[in-house]
Amino acid sequence: MNHSLRRLLYRVGPPLAAFVLFVGIWEAAVRIAELPTYLLPKPSDIVKSALDNWSRLLGSVSTTLVETILGFLFSVVGGVLGAILLASSKIIERSIYPYAIVLQTIPIVAVAPIIVIWFGAGVRSIVIVAFLIGFCPMLSNTLIGLNSTDKNLKNLFILYNATKWQTMWRLRIPAALPYIVGGLKISCSLCVIGAIVGEYVAGVGGGQGGLGYAITYAAMRIQTPYLFACGLAASVLGIAFYQIVNFLSRKWLGSWHESEMRGENE
Amino acid sequence: MQVLRLDGVSKTYPNGTVAVQDANLEVGEGELISFVGPSGCGKSTIFQMVAGLSKQTAGEIEILGGSTGQARRDNAISFVFQEATLMPWASVRDNVALPLKLRKLPRKQQEEEAERVLELVGLKDHAKSLPRQLSGGMRMRVSIARSLIAKPRILLMDEPFGALDEITRQTLQEELLSIWQRSKGMTVLFVTHNAFEAVYLSNRILVMTPRPGRISREIEVDVPYPRGEQFRSSAEFSRFVGLVNESLKH
Repeated sequence: MNHSLRRLLYRVGPPLAAFVLFVGIWEAAVRIAELPTYLLPKPSDIVKSALDNWSRLLGSVSTTLVETILGFLFSVVGGVLGAILLASSKIIERSIYPYAIVLQTIPIVAVAPIIVIWFGAGVRSIVIVAFLIGFCPMLSNTLIGLNSTDKNLKNLFILYNATKWQTMWRLRIPAALPYIVGGLKISCSLCVIGAIVGEYVAGVGGGQGGLGYAITYAAMRIQTPYLFACGLAASVLGIAFYQIVNFLSRKWLGSWHESEMRGENE
Repeated sequence: MQVLRLDGVSKTYPNGTVAVQDANLEVGEGELISFVGPSGCGKSTIFQMVAGLSKQTAGEIEILGGSTGQARRDNAISFVFQEATLMPWASVRDNVALPLKLRKLPRKQQEEEAERVLELVGLKDHAKSLPRQLSGGMRMRVSIARSLIAKPRILLMDEPFGALDEITRQTLQEELLSIWQRSKGMTVLFVTHNAFEAVYLSNRILVMTPRPGRISREIEVDVPYPRGEQFRSSAEFSRFVGLVNESLKH
């Protein structure tokens, strides 16, 4: 067996085995205890309901996916630009930042119904909710990053007569990249949650509705296996999104930042 | 030609500490001057004032006939610190070209000049490397290359080799002398707490003592350049080091 195949098995094998074991015990336990399906479905029930409703499930996933991506993109652009604005002037930062903190601490589930009242049921409100939930970590992390520039490098730029904009563009922003990526990792998962919460409150957004709507609908009709299937689909969505951000993190930071560097010792 | 003049320069902090008291100094073009002294003797403070990073509380500083701010704006003075202070996300070439990039010079010129100075410090093959791939001595070379790229008239170096091991230190000292000699009349102001380093490098040493920080003695090291290994092990070298150490104890 060659080296890289062995390494793959070494990494993937144990968690895969644990998963199979877990699913096996679940299936067996429910069968033996004869638990009703509406209470705790067997893994086989969940898979069957997913396959039976495959196109419906896929439709819901894609709707939630689009909402999440839109909300995420807006929160990244908004958060980074907002942070750059705050970091460019101490006065602006001191005036506005306290309100950004307030925004961060307001529970999104409390705000979502108001958003729906203002913007109507549908995709627009859902994207706004996803945006709101992902915006604060992006703003926060980026701002900390912009304010954490190495003092010696800052002095160097002063000594070389750099303008404020040059210092922001060539020093503070690149130096903040590790923090921005940290914000991305937090935001991407939150935006999935935001989209689904938005769907709970805003209902059907164009087409057939996303996972949040499907979950609400399945819960109402006690279709527990499909409920589980939707929940699992939501998890897979979150995981996939996170992996993409992880990939970007390695690409952008891998060559120079400790958080992503693989040393010779590994 | 006089490139730097300090006239009765003092720096007193608000809490009463006298960092520098009544420093008087004239530096001619092409000299290599060392400021030697223990911690707290004011040598780094003088450096900061000459660089324009801090303002003197008394006295006058004249660089190339003008103020410190003017010299900086004209890019006539350049700096090397104890830390290499490189941008970790940028390649060696981009780090070295930074002063020119900030001056918005054309890209081609940036690259040509970067290649020129990297050649000077022997790092031409590492133009595309990242700082984390370099040793401490190589990073310091990059920092020195960066300081040379704008062809400064005066080079200020604040304990640049302080963080390096003795062997690398001596190698870089020789390289510095070589670069200095090949430059057309570049003046170097070197701050160090190492008497051996000061004697080896300089044609003139300013010994400083603390509390209050003052220039207590000027020692002329009238040994011709180039200076090699044999100077380091000569009796003359020991004599000068002895002179410096004696003045430091004062």
